[in-house]
Amino acid sequence: MFLIGKQPVINRSGRETPPLRVSSLRVAYPGGPTLLEDVSFIVEAGEIMGILGPSGCGKSTLLRHLVGLETATSGTIELFGENLWSGQGAELNHHRRKFGIMYQGGALFGNLSLIENVALPLKEFTKLKPGAIETAARLKLALVGLSGFEYSMPDSLSGGMRKRAAIARALALEPGLLFLDEPSAGLDPVTSAGLDQLIVTLARNLSLAFVMVTHELNSIMATLDRAILLDKEKRGIVAEGTPDYLAHQSPAQEAAAFFRRGSRGGILATQKLDTN
Amino acid sequence: MAVQVPKTLVVTSSEAGRYSLSGVLTAQVPGQVFDPLLKLKSRQPIAIDLSGLSAMDLNGAALLIWLQSTLEKSGRSVTFAALPESFEPIWELAKKTLGPPTPKPAELGFFEGVGQSVIDFFQDLGALIVFLGEILAALAGVIFKPWKIRWSMTMLTVERAVVNALAVTALVSFLVGLILAFQSAMFMKLFGVDIFVADLVGLSLIRELGTLLTAIVLTGRSGSAFSAELGSMKINQEIDAFLTMGLSPAADLALPRVLALTLATPLLTILADFAGLIGGNIVMITLGHPVVAFWIELSSHLDTSDVATGLFKSFIFGFVVAVVGCQRGLAAGGGPGAVGEATTKGVVTNIVLLAFLDSLFAVLFYVLNW
Repeated sequence: MFLIGKQPVINRSGRETPPLRVSSLRVAYPGGPTLLEDVSFIVEAGEIMGILGPSGCGKSTLLRHLVGLETATSGTIELFGENLWSGQGAELNHHRRKFGIMYQGGALFGNLSLIENVALPLKEFTKLKPGAIETAARLKLALVGLSGFEYSMPDSLSGGMRKRAAIARALALEPGLLFLDEPSAGLDPVTSAGLDQLIVTLARNLSLAFVMVTHELNSIMATLDRAILLDKEKRGIVAEGTPDYLAHQSPAQEAAAFFRRGSRGGILATQKLDTN
Repeated sequence: MAVQVPKTLVVTSSEAGRYSLSGVLTAQVPGQVFDPLLKLKSRQPIAIDLSGLSAMDLNGAALLIWLQSTLEKSGRSVTFAALPESFEPIWELAKKTLGPPTPKPAELGFFEGVGQSVIDFFQDLGALIVFLGEILAALAGVIFKPWKIRWSMTMLTVERAVVNALAVTALVSFLVGLILAFQSAMFMKLFGVDIFVADLVGLSLIRELGTLLTAIVLTGRSGSAFSAELGSMKINQEIDAFLTMGLSPAADLALPRVLALTLATPLLTILADFAGLIGGNIVMITLGHPVVAFWIELSSHLDTSDVATGLFKSFIFGFVVAVVGCQRGLAAGGGPGAVGEATTKGVVTNIVLLAFLDSLFAVLFYVLNW
């Protein structure tokens, strides 16, 4: 636990409280199908954890529940030891301020410049003077490599830059936990690798915990410490472990299918060519 | 023995120029905590001892950098000392990362702003005239080949823009007729000429108000919808797709809308006129005049030219509302606010143009003695 900036949150047993603990989460539409069943996992401080799975397996649904946009049918979500759904309104908002989130498209406010986007949470939720807020916002943008673009408008930037700016905004209040929804989606390999590098740097230097929804293999291998794999048929976690373990040693068939889809597709394609 | 650690940031001073920060240095520090330092009158160097910090994050580091640069701007030197070792990496990261501030882009001055607005105005007007040309050219291309007109889309637009607007137009016009009759009748009754309320309501509705009201309802309901539809097509690159297929947005997207509104607005205007007259008639009935008196009085003063001018204007207004709505949509810029901006611009341009054209027609018809 080196390089820690904030005081570690210590619970009574003396161990650090994990930033996120999900216990037997069940998601079902009223009178409809069950989407997720018995989803439980823990994310430790400084850990980059992935939520993997093929399209339609409930990754995004799980994320929407984790950030408190939707309520689960049963089960609990604990943020730094406190139940996310312990209250409504102001109390829920208080819990929500404990994490940051980067949405798939960045979701920057289009009528604000980058620095205004990053400064917005600081303006709303701190009592700092304007100059101090500006310095803090500038630091966050510099951290994601966007020095010099402070006064640019989001729509004048490339997709990768928008995603990095969105991370800067999620980092504004320096929460201990960041959710990233498909950080590599729609990016070219070079930009995507740069973003992966940034995520690892932030996790190691600031001991931030990351929860990433993704299905980009390169990004999974480059960033994740640990991952859970969801499956549509089994409606929940089918495998858990390091990316290496999931790719090569996991007994779960779904893991093998998920990680080796690239090469298998390749072989099939070659065979088809041969027969032609 | 446990050491008392303050939960918030405390700034203390042991002697002049020597300060120490203790507690938690994050974005959540109290707003005025640095005031003793910032309000210092003396110019002597300041030494800040950081050994009492129990927590610090990047925002805290940013605060220290801000404090240092603010104090140094007023000519004092600032030194930090004894930062706890565990915060060293964050402090180094912050110092290494944060470059010099980017200069703010210059904002337009008053005169430049006025100049820019004038340029924008004429550019907008130019674009509108060019588009008008495109529409007329497209119209000329199909006018003798009516089978080339996209009738299905035209009829769909008639239904959505005009048929679905019947109720709201009739209601607005009915109420205006009612109010007009009521307000004028109160006064004219004093002179015993309240029968002329029929002429007042009838003439003003048929020559002016019915036409104008219908056009304004269409602007708000359909012109804005055209701007929004075509604007979102523009920002979704659908217009680009149209162009690269060799199709013309003016001929294939705008012309059916323009035709629909131009042809159907007079019909809507006739309905609005009737609804307004019924409103006026109801007031007359309450004043004790029989129903038939209203219509006889009106028909004795109402001329064919009154009806003709009203309907002629409604043709033009329908055309203008559709052309402006479509042009603003197709001219939508990039960015998230583009559709909203295009819609606003379309509605504003339309309302200004309608008022302007209506006054122009008033003068024209007076001169022509219509």
